[in-house]
Amino acid sequence: MTTSQGIIMILAGLASGPLLGGLIAGLDRILTARFQSRIGPPLFQPFYDVIKLFGKEKMVVNVWQAFCANAYLTAASISVVLFFLRSDLLLILFIQAVGAVFLVVGAFSSTSPYSQAGAHRELLQILCYEPLLIFVVVGIYLLTGSFKIASVYAWNQPVLLKLPFMFVVLSFVLTIKLRKSPFDLSTSHHAHQELVKGLLTDYSGSFLALTEIAHWYETVLVLGLCSLFWTTNPIGAILLVGLTYFLEIWIDNVSARLNWRWMLGYGWAMGMSLSLVNLVWLYAR
Amino acid sequence: MKELTYVLIFLPFIASLICFFKIPSQVRSFMILTTGCILIVSSLLLIPYVPFAFTPQTLFGLGVHDLIRVPDFILMFAILYFGFKHRSLLIIVPAVLQIVLVIWFEIIISSGMIEGQQIFRSVTQAFYCDNLSLIMVLIISIIGSIICFQAIPYMKNHEEHMKLSTSKQPRFFFVMLFFLGVMNGLVLSNDMIVIHFFLAATTLCSFLLIGHDGNKEAIRNSVRALWMNNLGCLAFTVAMMIYHNLGSTDVQQIIRTPPGGGLSFLALALLCFASFTKSAQFPMQSWLIGAMVAPTPVSALLHSSTMVKVGVYLVLRLAPAMHGSFLSQCIALFGAFTFLAAAGLAVGQSNGKKVLAYSTISNLGLIFACAGLNTPESITAAILLIIFHAITKALLFLCVGTIEQHIESRDIEDMRGLYSKMPLTALITVMGVVMMIMPPFGLLLGKWMAMEAAARNIFVIVLAAIGSALTAMYWARWAGTLMSDPFAGKFKLEKQPVVTWAALLSLCAGAGILSIAVPWLYTGLFTPSMSLNYVPPYTLNDGVLENSYGVFAALPLCLIAVMGFLQSILAVRGATKARICAPYLSGIQTAEPRVFVGPMNQLVKAEAGNYYLSNIFGEKKLTIWINLAAGVLLTLIVGGAL
Repeated sequence: MTTSQGIIMILAGLASGPLLGGLIAGLDRILTARFQSRIGPPLFQPFYDVIKLFGKEKMVVNVWQAFCANAYLTAASISVVLFFLRSDLLLILFIQAVGAVFLVVGAFSSTSPYSQAGAHRELLQILCYEPLLIFVVVGIYLLTGSFKIASVYAWNQPVLLKLPFMFVVLSFVLTIKLRKSPFDLSTSHHAHQELVKGLLTDYSGSFLALTEIAHWYETVLVLGLCSLFWTTNPIGAILLVGLTYFLEIWIDNVSARLNWRWMLGYGWAMGMSLSLVNLVWLYAR
Repeated sequence: MKELTYVLIFLPFIASLICFFKIPSQVRSFMILTTGCILIVSSLLLIPYVPFAFTPQTLFGLGVHDLIRVPDFILMFAILYFGFKHRSLLIIVPAVLQIVLVIWFEIIISSGMIEGQQIFRSVTQAFYCDNLSLIMVLIISIIGSIICFQAIPYMKNHEEHMKLSTSKQPRFFFVMLFFLGVMNGLVLSNDMIVIHFFLAATTLCSFLLIGHDGNKEAIRNSVRALWMNNLGCLAFTVAMMIYHNLGSTDVQQIIRTPPGGGLSFLALALLCFASFTKSAQFPMQSWLIGAMVAPTPVSALLHSSTMVKVGVYLVLRLAPAMHGSFLSQCIALFGAFTFLAAAGLAVGQSNGKKVLAYSTISNLGLIFACAGLNTPESITAAILLIIFHAITKALLFLCVGTIEQHIESRDIEDMRGLYSKMPLTALITVMGVVMMIMPPFGLLLGKWMAMEAAARNIFVIVLAAIGSALTAMYWARWAGTLMSDPFAGKFKLEKQPVVTWAALLSLCAGAGILSIAVPWLYTGLFTPSMSLNYVPPYTLNDGVLENSYGVFAALPLCLIAVMGFLQSILAVRGATKARICAPYLSGIQTAEPRVFVGPMNQLVKAEAGNYYLSNIFGEKKLTIWINLAAGVLLTLIVGGAL
């Protein structure tokens, strides 16, 4: 990658969150509405929401919420930029985790029980998906011999063919990361949350807007990880990601929320056994 | 460099002896400060001379071996004495065995000398210092000294709190300084006989320090520490005798001769066992957990720069001898298991010091796993982890000590909203936590390297991945609890002694600066003179560490992190102008931010506690199974060697 290509990639990465992420969120809302026999909001509604949030008066419970919201956004955007630069997958995961942890610390900084319980649930969600993501990355490493994304693109056939179970594990993580039912424990897009807005309860105004944009970045990152399973053909990649995302929305609409014991139990039992099967298969090769 | 070596080893001894006598406390404090400063300077001055090795013909008119012979016996008899004093067969039996073995050993050596075979001369170098030793010396001298500095105000407070009629500080600082000298001696020696002496000395020192407060619990825990570590010393003695039988007790020669046959593998396995006890790996973890009854500087010293680091140092030292062996793989598995198990136990703890203790065990487990994987990448990871763990853990222990003296509790629940009471200490603690788990800090760089190195070993990577997630969980929870406060009040600095601030801030800044300096650290220290057969595995371009399968943008990430940090701090400054509102409680707010008007116009106080998931991760539930599993693995390690 030359310097100019690098700069283009950095800019593309930075732009992808607010643009692509926001569009995906808009599409998501329309599709969800159609599933529920509603028309739904316009495609650009998420952008309007965020712009409106930025216009609100600044209110905080604790000034460190401002720090945490900013740190969350910074970490999330860097992880996407590194993804666009085709950097090290494990490094990207670690940086994404920084953002997730700061979001939690920000929620902790309010004493509201909703916020606190949401923060704990989010930690449990991190606990559930973090090892699974590492397994996915290790699977890719065992196949391609490298943690660098560049080597996945250099691979001559879709990774999906050799890592089918890993893709299932990744889509499981996707459900948690996109805050979709049945794993929208800590906070949810929908108004059916016993925790009010969970860990986002006391983020407001522009700080809430920052967390929303950071969430878009995270969405782009996880969908990007999905796209790595079909790198030989851009149409294949788009089809794979689109299909997966459609499935996520469908699952979101047909399932009820589980509690964290179920999530951790199912997540680890299913995720780990599928990962192990796939990893052992790769070792045996 | 001979002079520097002697200063590093003997100066603390002399200073500690002076401390032992009743001298005015100001003079003692001055003594400690100067000794610490001289140690720090000498350890830094040592850098350009490394690697070196030398054997003094005579030291104070005696050969090195002759010099330590009498103190070695004094130490072993002292341990035996404490065994009788506390009526513990677990101490007495290994101590007696050890004394018998060493006497027998001395007879063999002297008979060898009489016959003119000069077996003992097979030790070519008495002192040996490569980069691994150098790093240990730097950690011991710098961090150890800083901890001793902070102990001065801490112990003054501590004794005022305990209302002692006669100060026990002379004995306390005697042992603390002595410990530093012993540790420096241990990492600079090359002869197993000499190392054995220092090993026994660390055992006795930690026993004395843990039991310092003299109450029932302290005595009980110190006795436990003594018997466990003494058992490790016994294993070391047996290994030493085997090696002598095989030809040499020179550590450098041992790792240069590939082990042939069961006997040498048995010796290696025994040495690993000794290391595991020193580093408090399962199932010998209880001594380190119990050690938290001691004054906090002791915990800081034991956990960060001394004692527990002996174990990982020894295994890293011996790693070249184990290369490619089954033993090495077992150690990797054992370490990874400890990493996961200790992290799990830490999740279940609300006692801050226990969380720190389990996190130490967990991190040491990861270092052992790296040593066991035994590739250049994993060895690099292990050494980075040692360096950054030492600094960060010392920082966190000193923070908890400071907090404890202020709020008189070490429970995380009592630290809720500490930011409003002790803003700077709370922020430094949060910083310490951040440096434990987040990039671009050195500890995470080490973890990244460890994981990439472990990816070919399916068991190790699975254990490490889960352990890593658990680690993030208990640290994030703690950091969040510290900041949990509805007030955005103005920053009012709390009062602390200057020495305390200096210690906390220097450690915090040190960890940060070293993380930025990783590229220079890497080119400067991680050279082939790190240890035997070590080849630096990463290439460095523009501050980016890269090998064939991984890339870590150390320096660029640091720069971005600094910018992100500044930008977020600016956001905080902006937020201080924002309207401060009360946390959402789903009811009518009152003037008090935690109270809302509930049904029937009753005031309800909203409260939230942390999840500790003690029915999954509780100590009572897990410990026995973990000990059992660790016991099985340990049997595999020692038994597999036979």
